[in-house]
Amino acid sequence: MSDNRGVGTWGRGRSVAPRVDRLRAVNLPKPVAVERDAEGKPVAVELHGKRETGNGKRRSADPPINLSVEYLGEEWRIDDEWWRHPIARRYVEVMLDGGGRVVLYEDLITGEWWMQMP
Amino acid sequence: MAGVLTSSHAACVWIPLLPLRLEEARRPDLRARPLALLDPHDGRRLWHTAPLARRAGVRPGMTIGQAIGLCPTLVLCEPDPVHYDERFARLVAALGEVSPVVEPAELGRAFVGTDGLERLYGPPEQQLAVIARTVDEWGKGEEGRGKGTASSHYPSRFPLPPSRRLGWGRGKFISWVAASRANPGTAIIIADGEGRDFLASQSITVLPLDPDTHRRLSQLGLTTLGALAALPEEAIVAQFGRAGRRLWRLAAGRIAEPVVGRPAPQQIGAAAHFPAPIADRLMLARTLERLVARALASPRRTGWRVQVVRARAALEHGASWMTEVTLKDPSADRGRIAAPLTVRLEQAPPTGAVERLAVEFLAFTPGTTELQLFARDAASAARAGRRRALRAAAQEIKTRFHRPLLHHVIEVQPWSRLPERRYALIDFEP
Repeated sequence: MSDNRGVGTWGRGRSVAPRVDRLRAVNLPKPVAVERDAEGKPVAVELHGKRETGNGKRRSADPPINLSVEYLGEEWRIDDEWWRHPIARRYVEVMLDGGGRVVLYEDLITGEWWMQMP
Repeated sequence: MAGVLTSSHAACVWIPLLPLRLEEARRPDLRARPLALLDPHDGRRLWHTAPLARRAGVRPGMTIGQAIGLCPTLVLCEPDPVHYDERFARLVAALGEVSPVVEPAELGRAFVGTDGLERLYGPPEQQLAVIARTVDEWGKGEEGRGKGTASSHYPSRFPLPPSRRLGWGRGKFISWVAASRANPGTAIIIADGEGRDFLASQSITVLPLDPDTHRRLSQLGLTTLGALAALPEEAIVAQFGRAGRRLWRLAAGRIAEPVVGRPAPQQIGAAAHFPAPIADRLMLARTLERLVARALASPRRTGWRVQVVRARAALEHGASWMTEVTLKDPSADRGRIAAPLTVRLEQAPPTGAVERLAVEFLAFTPGTTELQLFARDAASAARAGRRRALRAAAQEIKTRFHRPLLHHVIEVQPWSRLPERRYALIDFEP
């Protein structure tokens, strides 16, 4: 008997692989490569795109695209959950070449950069 | 229409958390997991919670965010109220075979009138044994009866875990309190004359109280029905008004509300006379549809689906025509009822021009997909209609893309500073 109605468990963090029958977080951050200037501010972002192969099912990765940062917007920092898995992020809102507006953040614990939608 | 049937003695059938039980029956893997059903009217809150979830502190009415904070492994399930209602309507119909007086109170709780049953089945113990067998048979599932209905795309055969509790006594309240005190699978009988003593030691939570009244009674130190009944009636009325009088009388065993049955409607019909006899089949088909709609609008039909429908025609020169259809899926939808009649009209038309055309509903079944047993108002009917349309669209998308692509957006921690924690998607299959 198949039943695919909405049933799910809520996993912690991004380590939980998304499954059809799970709750899926919206706006999960995606890893990006960020080129920085001497002050550590982002000047270019390397994006990995995907393209349809034609039958609507398979996808293949496009070559990465380097987009320069046209404008640096608001910056803020979040420190949270110090009592279990500390979270420290430095957010910056950027306008990319071509007009795309995204939010980047640097994980201050691992040094990795991530991208999220505003 | 027959008069309203009542019974002063009642047997209460109670299946606690019926929606959860039905989900667990449908998906046995959920039994060992902390399960919670979302509120059908507010998808951000919980409706029913399974004992495993309760053990972790999860309670009905909590938001999803609160519940997940308490129990990260909580399994959330979207409710399927149409399915619950249909299954419960079948239980009510099955109990109708035991006694002609059956009153559904809420999902999972129904009263069976037992006046006169002693001549059929014997003393209350025997009556309850018959009711228990009926409930258990219903719980085992019914092969094929639910297949193909618009309301459910699941097979209908799945056994329910034995969780029914039965109570017997004079009046609905005593029988309900007895059922609430019975262990799963057992029954408690309160003989006439023992009601007050039985009630005196029961907690006030068995009363139909709103949270505010419950809190006020607790603050007054009234925790048992006996303590409440020991106070003067007028003192309770002074504090709680008219509702207080009813509470006091229930607690004191002064009220024995009878079970009020829902008599099945008698034959419902509608007819049209043609001043000039007509033979045009298209016109006859349209008239049939209009007559079906007129008969459906009868207030006696509310809460019942039509199972058997008959069309009759008086032809010129004294001849007649008649056809009768038993609907595979009882319905309250004009199109679904009229369609088989129109087909018969095409296949075996009247042999002459029609002077009078009549439609009659001959048999009914309780509870409906279109008009729920517990949702008879227009808004609920509209919701059911939207749900059907959504279900059809979702099914089409799933068939085309081989996976569900529709999701609900639910608030998880909308206050979180981390954007990915605020909202989540849950598969949407109405």
